[in-house]
Amino acid sequence: MKPKALAIFALVALVASACSSSSATATSGNKVVTLGVDLPLSGAETPNGQPTLDGVQLAVDEISVPGYTIKVEAKDDALNGKHDPQTGATNIGQLVSDATVFGVVGPFNSNVAQAEIPVSNAAGLLQCSPANTNPGLTKGASAVALRPTNPTKIAYVRVATTDDIQGQAGAEIAYNVAGAKSAYVVDDTETYGKGLADQFVTSFTALGGTIVGRDGVGPSGQSDYTALLTAAKAKNPQFVYFGGVTADGGGLLRKQMVQLGMGSIPFGGGDGISDGSAATASSFLNIAGAQGDLNTYMTVAAIGLIPDAAKFAADYSAKFGTQPGAYSASGYACAQILLQALKAVGPGREAVRAYVTTTTNTFPTVLGTISFDANGDTSQHIISFYKFDTATQDWAFFEQKDFTSGQVSYPPTPAAS
Amino acid sequence: MSPLRSLLFWRSGSPTRLALARLRSQTRPVTTPTARFLGAHQSLSVIVGMSIVTAILPFIILLPPFNGFGTQTDFVDGFAQAGVWVLLAVGLNVVVGLAGLLDLGYAAFFAIGAYTYAYGASPFSHNHIPFWPMLLVGAAVAAIFGLLLGAPTLRLRGDYLAIVTLGFGEIVPVVFNNSDQYTNGTNGITALYQPSLPIYGNFGFGDPVPYYVTVAAIIAIAMILLYRLQDSRLGRAWMAVREDELAAASMGINTVTTKLLAFAIGASTSGLAGVYLSSKLSIVSPPQFSFTVSFTVLAMVVLGGMGNIWGVAAGAFVVYEIQSQGLKQLNQFVSGFPPLHLGPLNIDLTSIDFLNYQYLLYGLALVGMMLLRPEGLFPSRRRRAELHDIDDAAAGNQELVEP
Amino acid sequence: MDVGILTYQALNGLTIGAMYALIALGYTMVYGIIELINFAHGDVFMVGTFVTLWLLTTLGVQGAINNPALLVILLLVMFAFSMTIMGLVGVLIERFAYRPLRRAPRLAPLITAIGVSFILQNVIQATYGTAPLNTPQVIDPEAGVTFSMPTFNVGGFAVTSSNVFLPYVHVFIIVLAIALIVALQVFVQRTRLGRAMRSTAIDRDAAQLMGVDINTTIALTFFIGSALAGAAGVAWCMNYGNTKFDIGFQAGLKSFTAAVLGGIGNTTGAALGGFLIAFVEVFSSQLGYARWSEAIVFSILILVLVFKPTGLLGQQLAERA
Repeated sequence: MKPKALAIFALVALVASACSSSSATATSGNKVVTLGVDLPLSGAETPNGQPTLDGVQLAVDEISVPGYTIKVEAKDDALNGKHDPQTGATNIGQLVSDATVFGVVGPFNSNVAQAEIPVSNAAGLLQCSPANTNPGLTKGASAVALRPTNPTKIAYVRVATTDDIQGQAGAEIAYNVAGAKSAYVVDDTETYGKGLADQFVTSFTALGGTIVGRDGVGPSGQSDYTALLTAAKAKNPQFVYFGGVTADGGGLLRKQMVQLGMGSIPFGGGDGISDGSAATASSFLNIAGAQGDLNTYMTVAAIGLIPDAAKFAADYSAKFGTQPGAYSASGYACAQILLQALKAVGPGREAVRAYVTTTTNTFPTVLGTISFDANGDTSQHIISFYKFDTATQDWAFFEQKDFTSGQVSYPPTPAAS
Repeated sequence: MSPLRSLLFWRSGSPTRLALARLRSQTRPVTTPTARFLGAHQSLSVIVGMSIVTAILPFIILLPPFNGFGTQTDFVDGFAQAGVWVLLAVGLNVVVGLAGLLDLGYAAFFAIGAYTYAYGASPFSHNHIPFWPMLLVGAAVAAIFGLLLGAPTLRLRGDYLAIVTLGFGEIVPVVFNNSDQYTNGTNGITALYQPSLPIYGNFGFGDPVPYYVTVAAIIAIAMILLYRLQDSRLGRAWMAVREDELAAASMGINTVTTKLLAFAIGASTSGLAGVYLSSKLSIVSPPQFSFTVSFTVLAMVVLGGMGNIWGVAAGAFVVYEIQSQGLKQLNQFVSGFPPLHLGPLNIDLTSIDFLNYQYLLYGLALVGMMLLRPEGLFPSRRRRAELHDIDDAAAGNQELVEP
Repeated sequence: MDVGILTYQALNGLTIGAMYALIALGYTMVYGIIELINFAHGDVFMVGTFVTLWLLTTLGVQGAINNPALLVILLLVMFAFSMTIMGLVGVLIERFAYRPLRRAPRLAPLITAIGVSFILQNVIQATYGTAPLNTPQVIDPEAGVTFSMPTFNVGGFAVTSSNVFLPYVHVFIIVLAIALIVALQVFVQRTRLGRAMRSTAIDRDAAQLMGVDINTTIALTFFIGSALAGAAGVAWCMNYGNTKFDIGFQAGLKSFTAAVLGGIGNTTGAALGGFLIAFVEVFSSQLGYARWSEAIVFSILILVLVFKPTGLLGQQLAERA
């Protein structure tokens, strides 16, 4: 039995196998180094991960570091179309064991980061996340708990600001912009969504509003929110806030609100519903049925007024043929930071890690000049606010606020075309 | 007994001869001295077998074409992960393969084992019980839950049992996901303490070899125990209950206890796997325990050969490797292919992402297996005899076989 | 107490229950006749939604149809198309996956059913992707009647009523489901084929001796059950305007709970169970426990099976060893 099993296994594995993977060819004299990427690149998550990867690739193509040929090794942390922490941990393990990798861009989702941070921390390999927003990854006791091997050495930084700020932004939209004094909060019972919703509740209450109700929707397969919304409607909320992603029901929630006659109640969400215009298939706006004024707001945990936005968009569309995604610039920025570190201190992992996490170092990036604090959080605490624009059937950026300084900026009035 | 003589016996129709023929076809043909020795010393053969497999695997993958897929460290890490699935499959084999109880919520016990470890060894719970005793604790807790779930369902017919276990498998992750106070809800519990040995120290995150050796040892011990059980009175009682519960009961077997023990022991292996995996990953979170886990383990058991411990282990390993490596490699393999032209159809192989089709392949494999080879790829002889006896009966003229 | 909200939720429950009832009928009929839990049935429903999506996309339907005559014709086409196709799919599944295993040990067809379920899910996933998709809603979901329940005040206990909005789409679905359930009952009780189905369910061999063609009867059962699931699929598309590849699993499990709750094998029971389960779901949301509704429904399933496995209305199955 046993030898037969071994033989059959070997046979099957041989049949399923292929020729060896490709290797990069180095330009003569240049050392080949690898920039690792770990993002969700398949299934329902592709609209999140792919544009970010494209941003990274654009940076690698545009920026050259003398003496090095830079290869991008992209790993997909989606399993069956959904981001999977275990796959992410395995990917980071593989990037760790590849000696040419000097830094990693990723992950995209906060619960994947929870599985990855212990591994990269133990290996001392720097991770720069373009999009993680859960505060517990860098702040507080939970963050220290994620670094059991080297609690004082940070190997994880992020260019997106955290949900405690994003939740506050959402609360400000509800209270100040939409003028709501009461809100009903729904989350998608996942790490990101629930965390964001919790932050919204704290901030909204602090501003003086009341939360009339709070409930959650199961992640998958559930489509009917009419009962939940009917119960919510009875409590007369003046705002409905959704913490979560479109794939877990955000779009349907808004759609059914409209069907139930609650369309006049403003709706707000975080960057989990920022996935394209109404023309993009399966985006929040597409599912919500963007007809008429959806009265919907959204925040992105990143700067909206990118300096040189036009140039970035032009370069991006020249290379990829589409407009940049919500986190393309963030991916670009992470890559820029890693490449600057490479230029400054070479490809040694510890050197790169130390350089990036030194709080006094500043990095000029496409998002602006940023540095990282002692926890690995970005110094740029800017949230951009978006509202649905009926005319363009897309999210329209209307304001951004820097939560460190309190400064509020507005997009320039578009020139007549 | 040669096939020809069995045929002659078959045709003769005498019940005694038929019974004798069946009995003989079920016992292992004892041919070589090695086979006899291994058959008589099963525990030793498990230990030797597992040692050989554990030692060889990290070196087989150094040979082409495997060495192109990843480093040895990656492979060993993959094997350690595969070990978790092997443990799960071996446990489900007891429930489904030996006792014939279809358990569709197996991931629930996996979750229970994992969260037990989280309660025993994490900053969240302020406990720090070492890994090795926690293995036993996790197995015991999972076994208790197996008893709790099994007890009310024993009166049910097999199909209802499947649904009840499926329901339980759905309830457990939802409970873990929503109980913020006790389980930290959807964030899961992080920073679980990793195993450590007195001289070696803490296992850490970088080196998968200690994990690999640990899981191989756990699997070996589990297999030894399960082989002992299989050949014991309990094991025979399981098989009797699987075949015909009424007949088993009338022969004096306590079907209630038998089925309960099947659940409990199957669950305990799952608990072991849960403790191991949660300590390796150092986190535990509810999305890890969805129905697809239960379904994948079931597929492994069915494909591997229900009732055959080594077969199930091999099946689990093969399926896992195909899932984690093979499909990706298949993607790479066809990435250079030109589109196929089959008559009016143009199939562009490069546009097919085989990872998306994974569960389709499992589904097809399950259906195909049930239709063509229900005893699995590496069947136990007894099982093959049973299942093909029934086919013979459907075709014709035996008196002994029941529908 | 606000009776308006309660009425509103009750009507929500009736609509969802209508869909669960239609799916539950398929489960209960198949179990009654061959004692197999058809795990693939929930995914048959899901494929029905995608079939409807395909039809509407091919016909170029974008949204609500206002012309009544055109709407009626379109509805007839949608239902006929989806029900026929899903019925045929059900027959094919039975023919190739279940019939060869009719005499095999119980475990085999159960495992096959799970395999078929995953095959269906994955075919749809591979074709349409994993993200949710909008489907055109041919009856405008915002068109309906608004009314308010009578209010009164009994000695300090005030009964208020907020407005209840009843969309026409809900009315349509409830009426449709009731009509189909009644039609099924008439068919099973009053026609020859129905009698053949009932007799096969009671005692297969005796029915065969009496000249009933077992294979055709079983195929017919699958056809009808799957057609009803197809109808539920159309109703789903009309009501929610959205579908996803994995709705079959949840809906199927809840519908099976409904079938068991009502009494497996009992078609009236399945319909009743569908409405009851929907009410449980709706009112757990009303009370603010939406995140637990799944766990609550499955707990009910386990409790029913443990304490009253024959269901509320009693099961109708043959006595088998």
